Amino acid sequence: MSLKRDDESDQSLYANLDKSTVLQEARVFNETPINARKCRATLTKILYLIYQSERLQTKEATETFFSITKLFQSQDIPLRQAVYLLIKELSTVAEDVIMVTASLSKDLTAKSEISKANAIRALCKITDASMIQGIERFLKQAIVDKNHAISSAALVSSLHLFGNSKDVVRRWANEVQESVNSKGGITQYHALGLLYQIRQHDRMAVIKLVQSLSRGTLRSPLAYCMLVRYTAKIMDEEEGNRAMYESLEGWLRHRNEMVVYEAARAICNMRDVTPKELFPAVSALQLMLVFAAIRTLNKLALSNPASVAPCNLDMENLITDTNRSIATYAITTLLKTGNEASVDRLMKQITGFMSEISDDFKIIVVDAIRSLCLKFPAKQGVMINFLSNILRDEGGYEFKRSIVEAIFDIIYHIPEAKEYALSHLCEFIEDCEFTKLAVRILHLLGVEGPKSATPSKFIRYIYNRIILENATVKAAAVSAMGHFAVEVPELRERIRVLLTRALDDNDDEVRDRETFSWPTLENGLVNYLAHPELQRAPFDIAAIPTVTRCVAAPGSADAQRAYAAAMEKIPELAMLGDIFKSSKPVELTESETEYVVSFNCRNTINDVVLENVSVAMTVEATTTSSQPTCHWREPWRPSTRIRCPRNIYVVYKRNSNVTPVATFGNTLKFVVKDCDPATGEADEEGYEDEYLLEDLELTTADYIQPTFVSDFGRTWEQVGQQHEMVEAFELSAITSVKDAVTKIIDILGMEACDGSYSVKDKATTHTLLLAGMFVGGIGALVRCRMAYDASSGVTLEIACRCEDPEVCERIVNSIV
Amino acid sequence: MGLWSSFLTSLGIIKRKVNILLVGLDNAGKSTIINGLKVSAVPQTEVVPTVGFNVETFSTQHRLTFTVFDMSGQGKYRDLWEYYYPDVEAIVFVIDASDKIRACVARDELETMLQNKVLRDRKIPILFFANKMDVEGGMSPSECSGALGLEEIKDRNWTICATNGITGQGVGVGLDWLAEELKY
Repeated sequence: MSLKRDDESDQSLYANLDKSTVLQEARVFNETPINARKCRATLTKILYLIYQSERLQTKEATETFFSITKLFQSQDIPLRQAVYLLIKELSTVAEDVIMVTASLSKDLTAKSEISKANAIRALCKITDASMIQGIERFLKQAIVDKNHAISSAALVSSLHLFGNSKDVVRRWANEVQESVNSKGGITQYHALGLLYQIRQHDRMAVIKLVQSLSRGTLRSPLAYCMLVRYTAKIMDEEEGNRAMYESLEGWLRHRNEMVVYEAARAICNMRDVTPKELFPAVSALQLMLVFAAIRTLNKLALSNPASVAPCNLDMENLITDTNRSIATYAITTLLKTGNEASVDRLMKQITGFMSEISDDFKIIVVDAIRSLCLKFPAKQGVMINFLSNILRDEGGYEFKRSIVEAIFDIIYHIPEAKEYALSHLCEFIEDCEFTKLAVRILHLLGVEGPKSATPSKFIRYIYNRIILENATVKAAAVSAMGHFAVEVPELRERIRVLLTRALDDNDDEVRDRETFSWPTLENGLVNYLAHPELQRAPFDIAAIPTVTRCVAAPGSADAQRAYAAAMEKIPELAMLGDIFKSSKPVELTESETEYVVSFNCRNTINDVVLENVSVAMTVEATTTSSQPTCHWREPWRPSTRIRCPRNIYVVYKRNSNVTPVATFGNTLKFVVKDCDPATGEADEEGYEDEYLLEDLELTTADYIQPTFVSDFGRTWEQVGQQHEMVEAFELSAITSVKDAVTKIIDILGMEACDGSYSVKDKATTHTLLLAGMFVGGIGALVRCRMAYDASSGVTLEIACRCEDPEVCERIVNSIV
Repeated sequence: MGLWSSFLTSLGIIKRKVNILLVGLDNAGKSTIINGLKVSAVPQTEVVPTVGFNVETFSTQHRLTFTVFDMSGQGKYRDLWEYYYPDVEAIVFVIDASDKIRACVARDELETMLQNKVLRDRKIPILFFANKMDVEGGMSPSECSGALGLEEIKDRNWTICATNGITGQGVGVGLDWLAEELKY
């Protein structure tokens, strides 16, 4: 063909093609008789333009399309094939492409086999859902055609058509089934794919399909790979179904390496896979040890390091592999599976080629090191050194982020490493190009820094940020400084000086944060001065136990802290002592023997001033005869500010050792005064009004503080059976175990231990372990065993162990 | 067409190629007529409505090779006929003589066609086939010509033949006329 020239002339032929000139050239299609050679060259040019993502307008495309329809009169096969190609390209742009349906169908019945496959593809491209019936006959015929090229073209086209006209394609299932058994490898592969699509939603049919094919009628390794994937999918959907494991294992001995790998990977990805099941897969992978195999082993090493360990010896050899990607995976896998002794050696090796691999692989290495660190805390020194070294290297954001996150993890989980890691982070932010990371690190410094032995050394790094960085980082730095100021009294004066200096920063955000950290600071100071007895110990706001569970209000933890701080300020409340627990949905707080009910009020109506707002609470129902009595009420200070939220506190006194469950009815009473929208001044006269609030419930959960028990089993045994109380319930209203777990935690207000909070989606049984502390410091442990059955709902057996039998009873009965 | 081939054509050694557009309402029998002309084709008992168009090539004894663009007559495809007006040398218009009711539709289509800008400039001959002569109670060719107002076509050559697409009767007569028209 004329196109097969050397590169240079190729350049001259197709370089600098102009769309309009080429479309002009398309007039050659209208000539009689047709010059096939010339037309083909022009078609190629148009195709070239389209492939270079030149966009044809609808009008241009339609005109070109109609002129190429005239080429159907030529019997020249190469020209016809070029026409098909262009029709496929134009089918999305031009109008009335359906025009060529008859001509294409005619080609399908023609004797020439060569262009049939191309014709099928073009035909399916131009057909829309409404016309598909018209070509159904041809496609069905083509699917069972003896020529593999034709049948697989028909199958792939059907696969594309399936998206729009599922029903029509479903009718071809018999033909497709027939071609699965055809001799052509590629046809089998395509037919299997289509057959699966057709039966996708009928699980039994898919299982039947897979089972019948796994007996070995297939020839194509590609088809086998598909089969392996479908099998894996079925097994994944049906948890615990191991019926198909045997066929997977059988495929591990397949002739073709690709099938072996696919099967091994499927086994490795099985849920809850046992080492015994893994063994054959791992040994199959061990024999291969190509890139894909080692990647799978690497992934497996995360969950089942022991099963991968037998391959360690082979992987050692791969560390020096010239393919750096393989070497990376090999090393990280070894890190995950290896023992403590080999870590040093491996780390040295990684350091050697760290500069040679791409960011993606560096991230893999960092992840491996992160998990290694948590596994062998003793090695943290080496690891942190390594991490901080690569932190200084060149690298993209994702890479840096993964390092920083790894260091964060180390800081949280390995206390010994904290100081060292923090100082490395400090050095990193000195020269950090990523604002996001700098902000995160500064926040961490603010939280962790004050707790370290020498908080003062961080101040310099943070203040440097205030001077040198962009607004976002500055603001973060100011916040971090604020943390230091609040928590480390010795530094307070010095930080105040530094912050005052930053007050005249020319950036708004920074100034806002500045002024924000001032009140916090002052608050702390005032408190510090107001409580002389506290001055002996350094003031620590964290000493007030705050529960950082989600509070309905935005910025939960901050809000919680704000409550604590606000209550501290009210002398009457401060006298009550520390807060025992803040209940979550309604801000209801109780303290040793009193309840403090705090109402967050916000005036949401403009132009109205509310005065003398108070809340009247009445006890509507209670379990004990001794009614809680209203003890103290905080008056509302007259407010002239619109939309300024204020708190109202109501304190209830509870007789000691009685923990009543009660419902409070609440009414908001206030005086409304209209005010002038222009001046904002309120009228003299007002009228009294009431507003009925939602009822407030005081439940058992409010008396329980969630506590964390690290080894539930042992603690459970320690308390012993003599203090146990067991009760069984049927929760018919709850439809899944997952729901039940959430509800129970909600009702009891206790902390889930040993990760028993997480429930699998379709689990039918589950054991939930809870720990908490009842008012008065009485520890309580609860074990809930649940079973789900579609007919009866969730059956719950709740066992509570607690030294106080009364508390035990209360907890168990609160489920009702 | 090169000089050499035009020389050969004039000597009658190779045949001249002529493009013809075959139009008419749906179910007029266009595809059937073409099938009858194909030498090799096995007689088809069933003809499905054409979607879009079909191209057929056949030669006659008139030293001509006809390339026929058999257009679909269905309403939504009639707009597409005009794309082929510039490149054809003759038009064959098939009328369903048994369908009196839609004769007026055929007339409308014919008028639209004749008013097309391209065809007004190109005085190419039009051959009318009054098809389905085998159906009883159909219109005669002269009745067809009246129903479609053929007498009003004064600016170009035309003729009308009575045909039976299934047997091919009368088609040859029409093509003879066309070959004579296209001789030069």
